[in-house]
Amino acid sequence: MRRYIARRVLWGVALLFICSAVIFVIFYAFPSADPATLRAGRAATPEQIERIRHSLGLDEPIYTQFWLYMKNLVLHFDLGFSYQSNVPVTTLILDRLPATAFLVVGAAILWLAVGIPVGIVSAVRPRSLLDRTTMVTTLALISAPVFWLGLVALYLFADDVGQLLPIFPGIGSYIEANTFLAKAESLILPWIVLAAASAAIYARYMRSSLIDTMSEDYIRTARAKGLSERRVVMRHGVRSAVTPIVTLLGLDIGTLLAGNAILTETVFNIPGVGRLVATSIERADLPVIQGVVLFGAFFIITFNLIVDIAYAYLDPRVRYE
Amino acid sequence: MGIQSLRTVSLLLAVVMASIGLAACGGGGGEGTSASQNQFPPVNEAPTSAKKGGTLTVLASGDVDYLDPGAGYYQFTYMVDFATQRTLVSWPPNEIETPQPDLAEGEPKVTDGGKTVTFKIKKGIKYSPPVNREIKSEDFKYAIERGLLPGVATGYLAPYLGDLVGFAAAEEAAGETGAEAPDIPGITTPDDRTLVLKFTKPVAAIALQALSLPIGAPVPEEYAKQFDQESPSTYGQHLVGTGPYMVENDSSGKLTGYTPGKEIKLVRNPNWDPATDYRPAYLDAIDIHEGFGDTASASRKILTGESQVNGDFAPDPPVLKEASQKYKEQLMLAPQGGNRYIALNTTIPPFNDINVRKAVLAASDREALRLTRGGELVGPIATHFIPPEMPGFEQAGGYEGTGLDFLADPGGNPKLAASYMKKAGYPSGKYTGKENLLMVSDDTGVGRKTAEVELDTLQKLGFKVTFRPVTHDTMYTRFCNVPKADVAICPNVGWLKDFNDPQTILDPTFNGEAIQPVNNSNWPQLNVPKINAAMDRAKLISDPAKRAKAWGEIDTMVTEQAPAVPWIWDYFPSIASKNVANVVNAFNGDTDLSFTSLTNP
Repeated sequence: MRRYIARRVLWGVALLFICSAVIFVIFYAFPSADPATLRAGRAATPEQIERIRHSLGLDEPIYTQFWLYMKNLVLHFDLGFSYQSNVPVTTLILDRLPATAFLVVGAAILWLAVGIPVGIVSAVRPRSLLDRTTMVTTLALISAPVFWLGLVALYLFADDVGQLLPIFPGIGSYIEANTFLAKAESLILPWIVLAAASAAIYARYMRSSLIDTMSEDYIRTARAKGLSERRVVMRHGVRSAVTPIVTLLGLDIGTLLAGNAILTETVFNIPGVGRLVATSIERADLPVIQGVVLFGAFFIITFNLIVDIAYAYLDPRVRYE
Repeated sequence: MGIQSLRTVSLLLAVVMASIGLAACGGGGGEGTSASQNQFPPVNEAPTSAKKGGTLTVLASGDVDYLDPGAGYYQFTYMVDFATQRTLVSWPPNEIETPQPDLAEGEPKVTDGGKTVTFKIKKGIKYSPPVNREIKSEDFKYAIERGLLPGVATGYLAPYLGDLVGFAAAEEAAGETGAEAPDIPGITTPDDRTLVLKFTKPVAAIALQALSLPIGAPVPEEYAKQFDQESPSTYGQHLVGTGPYMVENDSSGKLTGYTPGKEIKLVRNPNWDPATDYRPAYLDAIDIHEGFGDTASASRKILTGESQVNGDFAPDPPVLKEASQKYKEQLMLAPQGGNRYIALNTTIPPFNDINVRKAVLAASDREALRLTRGGELVGPIATHFIPPEMPGFEQAGGYEGTGLDFLADPGGNPKLAASYMKKAGYPSGKYTGKENLLMVSDDTGVGRKTAEVELDTLQKLGFKVTFRPVTHDTMYTRFCNVPKADVAICPNVGWLKDFNDPQTILDPTFNGEAIQPVNNSNWPQLNVPKINAAMDRAKLISDPAKRAKAWGEIDTMVTEQAPAVPWIWDYFPSIASKNVANVVNAFNGDTDLSFTSLTNP
């Protein structure tokens, strides 16, 4: 197991390097805004723009810029500074990360708490009225775009503009909140919105995986031994059936922390990593884009590793050398 | 068909025709809206019953560009700067013609035929913590000189103060990685309270106005130098000011109240003395919350909430309509001193033919273009380029315009367009050439809609157009601002004044000498020697009446060349919560934080 983890960590470092290189190439290959011109402002002369380009190091060849960037990163953990705000990229990301983490963790707890039990109940009563109702509802939730769901939620339930039951804090309330509890309260609607589609997906995965597992021989053996149905399902069935869920969870949390919650953050104005990378792309702020991509890749690689280790404990058939 | 049926049909037909007639009479209007038809004029003075106290929240979709007064060059940034950085001269909210002395003690002395300007600096004005000391004339000299550093790079320094004696050499000396602000010999400080600016040309009129922008705010060299030695300068993360408010900071001066893209917290400047300032500063604090990407929801939040105003975004057209109907007391429409137009590249065939350009202008439906932004509410249809309330506007024909036939009909005149196409050598009245014309526009929002309206007009005239929507910044920095990109039509351009002088509207955008290979703002690439020479002469005129007349004539000359479709002089819609006594500064059309108050603090 230790050798396996070490190998995975080394691969992870190599992947981070490749991600960084790919972003550099994409930024230069596809036309985006010119950061030096944006920095210079509307009345700047070409000479002023070139001076700024030089001061930002943007007139160096791409491989030189990449080398300097990686050198600063590896030796000093320095991700550079934003072309637009002059603030260190690390500061920007670390400032935004708590909001995204709070949003993602809360939503994850919610979708696991709802999705898994619903999937289990549907699996043990397949084709029942409850099962059919659940599956139709999950299909609807998966189909609904998250930004639409968010806007509808605000329109119905936000305390400032809600038309049906205005009981939840509305748009922008996360920034206004000063305490942990106030921030948590401000995230109730975003949690529900972000968790809705994932809960639906997890319920369907759980149902499908558990139905397959319950037809295995060892389940029949467990029943034959006289174990209660509840014990058969929860201890033997769910334990095996949950492994694809674990994979999904690792990927979902990793990608959401990397900025995939952008739509939820935009609708509710939560100052998270997703919003940061979206505005940076618009403004051609390469250091910030690079920094967020590296952070995101780091989270995805880390969570995948955690998931793979968890497999070994969940499924005794899995062994790593 | 029986007689009875015929009667029924006739009756129905009459009803339908009457309905169409009524619909044609209502909405839209055949003439541009004038200022008198602004149903929501802005309030430019604080009420006599204004109360002190409370915290105002400003909602914004984006961020300021730079808090550093040397680097900031954006209307939203000015909202913060006006409250935190006093300048030599500045704009009370009800003044748009001449800036008022602020840190200057009285009007400056202009001598030497407009080549020398002398200011006396007020006594007793102190910087906010941690600098705390009294300002002196050297601080203004340093503020201007540091603008030449690549790490600060004041965008408007060269256009408006570039005629200072020794400016070119100083610019050279700043060099590419300069960390020391170079000396500009044309700026001298005989004593701590006297500032003398010497120019090589009689440009005092424009220079005085330019010093109302943040570059006219003092910067303490002994404090800022350490930050200016970095590139980019980090003074903006440690800045101090002289306004009634300051960005919250710690004892070392590092800003704690600014998180880029997230929020700015303004608190009272403990060293501000109200006896030295015309600003009343009613509010105790101002919180600017940024990142509201969904501006429709943010607008509704302001209108239904408490103690909030909008910052950098205009409400979406449906919300604006709702505000005009249900929240009338909370809406103001303020002229911003700008225009919007659709630029036609005069160097690319067939737009190098003036008759083809006139045809496009004649065919363009400027009412439909205005509808994309919200209709009549958002401003009068433009008939030339100098906006209302600016010197030269009336001289160029005012709201009615210059009398040119191809701009006479705001709804478009296809017949007239066809006649111009015939004059250009297209007997069918439509373009029959083979060229594929590139049009680059915004890829989202109202900008995209505007582009699509004009695209339809061009296609109806027979043009083959390659339509390429891209992000806003890419549109400017990679396409429209780069002549080599050969963009034939830029539909989302326009210009906002730097201050209330028509030179700031016409010179960067229609002077052939202003065309540059990158960051070009003369989008049509208009280069008419007669117009260029007229502008060069007009820049040197000091007398306000003669200056207005000269620039008004230039506006007419430019419009006659049909380089672009002017379609609106838009208002900035300022919305506020019910308990906000909102005061809009006429200079930039934004909420003036130093004059706004709460009715229930």
